[in-house]
Amino acid sequence: MDPSLIVYALNLSAIYALMAIGISLLWSSIGMLNMAHGASFAVAGYGALVISGAVFPWLKGLLGGTVLLPYVQVVVLLGAGVGVGALFGVLIYLLAFLPIHDKANFAVRGMIVTLAINLATVQALLWWFGPRQQSLPNVFGFGRLTVLGLPVRYDQAVTITATVLMLGAVLWWLKASRKGLEIRAMMQNAEGAALSGISVRRTALPVMAVTGAMAGAAAVLLSQTVYVSPGAGAMPLIKGMIIALLGGLGSVPGAVAAALLIGALEAATGAIPFLGQRMVLLVQFGFIIAVLIVRPRGLGGLLDETRK
Amino acid sequence: MSALLEISDLSAGYGPLRVLHEINLTVQRGERLAVVGLNGHGKTTLFRAITHLVGWQRGSVRFDGVEIGGTRSLGEGRRTPGIVRLGVAMTPQGDAIFPGLTVRQHLDCGAWSPRAWRERARRREMIFELFPPLRKLENTTVGTLSGGERRMVSVGRALMTEARLYLIDEPSLGLAPIISQRVIAALREIDCRDGAMIIAEQNVSLLTGQVDRMIGMHAGRLRGDVGHVELG
Repeated sequence: MDPSLIVYALNLSAIYALMAIGISLLWSSIGMLNMAHGASFAVAGYGALVISGAVFPWLKGLLGGTVLLPYVQVVVLLGAGVGVGALFGVLIYLLAFLPIHDKANFAVRGMIVTLAINLATVQALLWWFGPRQQSLPNVFGFGRLTVLGLPVRYDQAVTITATVLMLGAVLWWLKASRKGLEIRAMMQNAEGAALSGISVRRTALPVMAVTGAMAGAAAVLLSQTVYVSPGAGAMPLIKGMIIALLGGLGSVPGAVAAALLIGALEAATGAIPFLGQRMVLLVQFGFIIAVLIVRPRGLGGLLDETRK
Repeated sequence: MSALLEISDLSAGYGPLRVLHEINLTVQRGERLAVVGLNGHGKTTLFRAITHLVGWQRGSVRFDGVEIGGTRSLGEGRRTPGIVRLGVAMTPQGDAIFPGLTVRQHLDCGAWSPRAWRERARRREMIFELFPPLRKLENTTVGTLSGGERRMVSVGRALMTEARLYLIDEPSLGLAPIISQRVIAALREIDCRDGAMIIAEQNVSLLTGQVDRMIGMHAGRLRGDVGHVELG
């Protein structure tokens, strides 16, 4: 087997994990299935494109020729994606959460409103930027490293490292801060949380911003190999959602495990000659359906407490 | 001294069901009050109406001069965190708790004010003094505790941030007599010179000598302000 497959699988897993954990966290903490997560992804991609287009020439003039330039560019590009993603998360909060979160059937209404936001955003992007695919400036270079005997492209190395760092930061935030405790309290008993002075509205805002930021990071990282286009969010949304389901909605370790599994499966399917890239989705969905038939709650229950 | 809690003409219920019928109740500062009555006569609903957790309600609830009542038929629980932050601490009936959190995390949840959050280690220590059995369970998941231990956690959670009004719902429900007495004794320990405490209870004899005033509740109405009761 080609050893670079392992790296490819990890690279895919990292991006899927960023999407899936965002969807999973939103569902378990505020009970919203965010169909606009794909829109966050696409908008963050375009945000990074516009910001890098505006800032990079200026940066080149400032730091041109120095060794710092590529590093600063990576930080600016990732920061732009993360920032725009977080802002779009706040927009979803204002449009789809605040007005309806305490009305009857919020789960269904929230899904419909976020789906509407998703469609409207894709159309708005089409109208503004046109249907042409555009690529983000390649800031990671084309070189390769060798880590533990595995050949790793620079963009893969950055993707995996950035994802691990970002997930680490989010998990630490969930574990150590009061907001994290509030989120877990809300997951388990909304009424008990209200009686502990925990306001859903105040807690939902940072959750929406953080999950949006994760989608933004995923967009920038994936756009190093795939193009930015108005409909770019659809596939990451679908994959993020099925991985969140497979992991057991609401379980962060479950989502990580599921992302690793699906990433590996995708890489392996692509490499098997008689299956190939075109069968990837078929194999993935078949696998997930099989797992969910055997274990309807997903992998999550095996790993930790989930929404009861 | 002005009254801490003034309830006038409070009606509340769930959907078509009306549970409370024009309740009038005034609680003074420093008072420990018991609302006694049988199951299903509205004691819990009274607490839930004060904290906006019932389906609908109308009538005035003034807490320390601030109106926290009003008429509404939607938005159940929407104002609850705000009311808690005004200084109303409620321990819900039964085990409305976070089953997957440890005792320590559960207590930390109650520390909603920035000051309480900073001092949470010291305050947890205070709760452990009050309920010694909890100390060795600090890192146990609450879902695996016994009923009495859960009740202690639930009461402890309400004590993590100082409140002016404590609403304690059925502290003895489902507990062995010796444990209920311990819970009631711990409630006696709580300092409410500035605030007040209302305990809803079915077991009148348990409260003998422990409260300043008892009020009966029957069919959604307050019946008889019996003052202090001594039962044989």
